[in-house]
Amino acid sequence: MIEARNLSKRYGTTLAVDDLSFGVEAGQVTGFLGPNGSGKSTTMRMIVALDAPTSGTVTVGGRPYGSLRFPLHEVGALLDANAAHPGRRARNHLNWLADSNRIPRKRVDEVLAIVGLAEAAHRRAGELSLGMGQRLGIAAALLGDPPVLILDEPINGLDPEGILWVRHLLRSLADEGRTVLVSSHLMSEMALTADHLVIIGRGRLLSSGRVADFIERSAGHHVKVMTPDADPLAALLRDKGATVVVDAPQELSVQGLESRDVGILAAGAGLTLYELSTQRASLEDAFMQLTREHAEYRGTTEHAEAST
Amino acid sequence: MNKVLATPATTTTAEARLSGVFLGAMRSEWTKLSTVRSTMWALSITVVSTVGFGVLLTAIAVSQWDHRSIAEISGFDPLLYSYAGLNVAQLCIGVLGVLVMTSEYANGVIRLTFGATPQRRLLLGAKVLTFSLVVAVVSLISCVTVFFICQAILADRHAGVSITDPGVLRAVLGGAVHLVLVGAIAVGVGAIVRHTAGAVAILFGVLLIVPGLVQLLPAPWNDDITRYLPNSAGAAMSAVVRFPNLLTPPGGFLVLAAYAFATLALASFLLVRRDA
Repeated sequence: MIEARNLSKRYGTTLAVDDLSFGVEAGQVTGFLGPNGSGKSTTMRMIVALDAPTSGTVTVGGRPYGSLRFPLHEVGALLDANAAHPGRRARNHLNWLADSNRIPRKRVDEVLAIVGLAEAAHRRAGELSLGMGQRLGIAAALLGDPPVLILDEPINGLDPEGILWVRHLLRSLADEGRTVLVSSHLMSEMALTADHLVIIGRGRLLSSGRVADFIERSAGHHVKVMTPDADPLAALLRDKGATVVVDAPQELSVQGLESRDVGILAAGAGLTLYELSTQRASLEDAFMQLTREHAEYRGTTEHAEAST
Repeated sequence: MNKVLATPATTTTAEARLSGVFLGAMRSEWTKLSTVRSTMWALSITVVSTVGFGVLLTAIAVSQWDHRSIAEISGFDPLLYSYAGLNVAQLCIGVLGVLVMTSEYANGVIRLTFGATPQRRLLLGAKVLTFSLVVAVVSLISCVTVFFICQAILADRHAGVSITDPGVLRAVLGGAVHLVLVGAIAVGVGAIVRHTAGAVAILFGVLLIVPGLVQLLPAPWNDDITRYLPNSAGAAMSAVVRFPNLLTPPGGFLVLAAYAFATLALASFLLVRRDA
């Protein structure tokens, strides 16, 4: 539904987005991941035609956003949750948006209820808490009941309950067949929310694919074995082609064999096991692994981690 | 969690006509204007200053007449003092017009606006037209009100004019058009500069400071240039008596309209070219 082809954006001498190509499919949550300053927001602004690409194209539903008439019916975007006149009441903030795209006013009440702001509708935007402001931004994105949603860091400023709410919301939107692109610099959040990942660093595509595949491919997984017979077991597993690292006198880390195979081999040789478990890499590990491969991003990544 | 929304929209809005987009944008701009307090404040001050200063200065002028010669009084423009308040009113309208654009840049709303209406030229047109209609209504009320109050004061001294006298209706409407055009220029300056303080400084500089500087030039340059400045061009529209240092009313209108057109053309060019 969203298709970026060779997208580049240059600001002066810095290349914020560098020859970026990716696709975002309907019916799933796509996490748009990258350290702060990696070009996520710039890319999202180009998708909704706020910034013009230096080169390349991006389309939504096959059409450039700038050519859409009444685009709120097609794409809902949350780019900056603080974007509201502080003196305007929450309901009026949604009213003017609704008016611009001929959305009936009763839809404003619906989205206020969906995001849980029905009680706060009369409050001025400047009086809303950070979390309520974020909900107002999400309400604006949902206003036109769009098949495509683009949300930039939607959980910023939300309390744990709010984070859970956004996670469920994104899931149900995707389950209804919508295209959901959500950016974050928090790998752990994306591990819980996203089905699919588009990962960028310094404006370039680092990886794109299913979350599970990404973890598998980037960091893989290993089998942890606790055994009094470490040496004979290690020799046996190496014979079968596994990579075995002796982590401690009675602890082995095995790669290249599943835990099931390790158990069968040990039983066949009459060796004792205390513990046999598959250790999966977290998305964080996978991300660190990926950015290590692109050594120049490491400093930026650590900075991003430190600032959260 | 329950189903959040209805099924995704399948109908496309791509076929919507541009006239529909324009009307939607105008409705939206009206909602924006009518839901912030600064609009009501600025428009109230516009009415109060137009009527207040006009009535006050007319009353003072009349009270001085016992000391003036018949010749001085007969050369008197019956609307000159009535519309003295327009000088203050145009500043209120100017600030409000600047804010139509710059307040959106200040709080990020401009991205929502462009997101909702990516046709930026058309959007600028909708903003200018909507704001101009609001200014037109407020200015007409102000100009007509101050006219009738001031003429009632002047009528006591048999110096008043009727709205049906030659040039009078045109002058009353001219005062309102003056404010509308200054408002349109202000929206354009706001769109070009994008920062409230800078845009207001430029607008006030052109309306207030530049005329003073031009007056310092040697004659006849000072008067020749002054009559083409926005302020004087605007004042020419609400004059009944022909002043030697002002353009004719139609001339004043054409000059001020040219300023508005040029400003908005530049604004529209930049709005499309620049990233939001």
